[in-house]
Amino acid sequence: MSLKRIRLVMWKEFLQLRRDPLLLRAMFLMPILQLVFFGYVVAADVKNISIAVIDLDHSVASRQLEAEFASSDYFVITQHPATEAELQPLMDKGAVKAALVIPDGTSAALTRGEAAPIGVVVDGSESSSASIASGYAAQIVGEFNQRQIAASGMTIAAPGIDARIRVVFNPTLESINSMIPGLIAALLMISFGALMSQAVVKERESGTLEQMFVTPIKRNEYLIGKLTPYVVLAIAQVAVVAIIGMLWFKVPFYGSWWVVAVGLGLFLLTSVGLGLLISLVSHTRQQAQQTVMFLMIPQMVLSGFIFPVESMPAWIAPIANVIPLTHALVVLRGAFVKGSGFAALATPLWILAAFAVVIFGAAVVQMQRRLAE
Amino acid sequence: MSEALTGSPVNPDAAVSVRGLRKVFGKFAAVDGIDFDVRRGEVFGFLGPNGSGKTTTIRMLTSSITPTSGTISVLGEDAVKHPDRAKLRLGYMSQKFSLFEDLTVDENLRFYGGVYDLTAEQFAERRAYVLRMAGLEGRESELTRNLSVGWRQRLALGTATLHSPEIVFLDEPTSGVDPTARRRFWDLLYDLASNGVTLFVTTHYMDEAANCSRLAFMYRGRIIADGPPREIRESLLTERILDVSTGDADRSLTWLESADGVHEAYLSGASVHAVVEAGLSPETLTARLVAAGFADARVVPVDPTLEDVFVNLVSQQRGA
Repeated sequence: MSLKRIRLVMWKEFLQLRRDPLLLRAMFLMPILQLVFFGYVVAADVKNISIAVIDLDHSVASRQLEAEFASSDYFVITQHPATEAELQPLMDKGAVKAALVIPDGTSAALTRGEAAPIGVVVDGSESSSASIASGYAAQIVGEFNQRQIAASGMTIAAPGIDARIRVVFNPTLESINSMIPGLIAALLMISFGALMSQAVVKERESGTLEQMFVTPIKRNEYLIGKLTPYVVLAIAQVAVVAIIGMLWFKVPFYGSWWVVAVGLGLFLLTSVGLGLLISLVSHTRQQAQQTVMFLMIPQMVLSGFIFPVESMPAWIAPIANVIPLTHALVVLRGAFVKGSGFAALATPLWILAAFAVVIFGAAVVQMQRRLAE
Repeated sequence: MSEALTGSPVNPDAAVSVRGLRKVFGKFAAVDGIDFDVRRGEVFGFLGPNGSGKTTTIRMLTSSITPTSGTISVLGEDAVKHPDRAKLRLGYMSQKFSLFEDLTVDENLRFYGGVYDLTAEQFAERRAYVLRMAGLEGRESELTRNLSVGWRQRLALGTATLHSPEIVFLDEPTSGVDPTARRRFWDLLYDLASNGVTLFVTTHYMDEAANCSRLAFMYRGRIIADGPPREIRESLLTERILDVSTGDADRSLTWLESADGVHEAYLSGASVHAVVEAGLSPETLTARLVAAGFADARVVPVDPTLEDVFVNLVSQQRGA
């Protein structure tokens, strides 16, 4: 490997990128437009929100209330932690999106005709589903109260259960707070898909690739020199989106930049690898562009970027899991909104690492194979 | 000819020496066992229709793809075992004039100057030579995209020879270029050849083939003839070529195709060329044509052109 030749390939790639009219649009103009556009989107209906029930009362009334939640379409009870302390890790991992806490003495208070406070805890990092979840919870508690009153023959004025809704992680439920971290990952995927997929096919079409491999330039020198400028641009783009998000849209950042860097780094490898694969497999630039479009739209829709995965039919969930963006979103939103660390985000990070190895590895193998024919 | 080389070891003194070279894509043998030598200083014409395996062969000789089997020696180096050794000493130019279109003339030259590790003095000297040769002095900062085809072609040749290679492979270098620019380009090639550079040129222009000092005809992955142009023309001595003009070329072609003593007939310009056995005289054929209703038939013997030879060789292969 010769550093000099790698530098030469990088130099010519930077020159070409600078003159590429697609670059400014794809890398910097589109992100700013998307920021403004997605910054104000409010999401759709949510069903089957996974919820944890912490029943500290162990009474008929508490079981009735739990049954009300279980029978609604909105919630699926997936966990029964014994204490509130056990709830935090479940929320951090995203295993549950909401929790119902029925404190000891709820039944007794109801019998005495007093107001009985219960807790509804909602994960606000996905603000749209969170606001919907809290709305549903309030509604179910309201209906429960109505039924209790009817059964006991008490007056309307009877206080019943007082649902105290507490939203954790994103107390003001601003959709922008979870939208912008998501946008960082989504934009990286879109602009890289568009740029990378053109990269090699363009050189193959024009014959410059063939020309270079007759010279002393080696394939790995070409690959490194070719990809480095794109990685530099990716970092610049992430910085632009994050800075605008945090300064203009006042998105708070609670987590660790290391988590963001590792998550985005792995996701970048996946995106670059995918773009490169498309570029190697395609015969013309147009074909590459169409393949990108074909792959991007389902990823955007199914990853939970726009619509929460919870709002989709159950059979979609496995599909969402094989989309790298889904996991990148969990990492970025977790780090930005919840301040989650490596431990809490271990699963999505490992999944991203696996995607990076498989997809980028496949691209490198294809590179060696395709260019040998 | 090639049969004599089969099985013999490669000749390390030759500019290019190839033995038993094969390249198979899936089940398709693009190059199906070829043997040839290119002597140093030769202008070697590599001919054949599209898809006959010419480009695949060039790409193996320049080590951009590896052969399925066979041995290749380029400038005395084993191109299969040590693909990088000859790379600094060879040049390559394809029909696409593979310049970076979104880089300027100067940037293209600087890129390849760096790739071939030229010193600052070497580069300055070669750059000046290429700019003068291509007629691009004063246009160094123009994007190559904006140059017209003839200029791009000459610049591509200059770029491919920036590092003063000992051999240059040219894959259809003149396709899509007008005749004047083609003429000018061949003058440049002769300049290179007169400086001792070996040229390996593929082309499908028969008039260009006549410019070469030696030719090889490739057809369906095999070399079906090779030798100097004159020798190849003379290889047809057992047959003769008659130029047949009648009022109706199409109808006379049909008649000739099934006529006795005519091996082959094909359109050549406004008339028909018939490859006939040596015993069939122009007078006899004229008489038979008139009898068949071609009242104004005129038949004259012609010297076989390379195109005649080529058509004839290909039809022999098809018949075989």
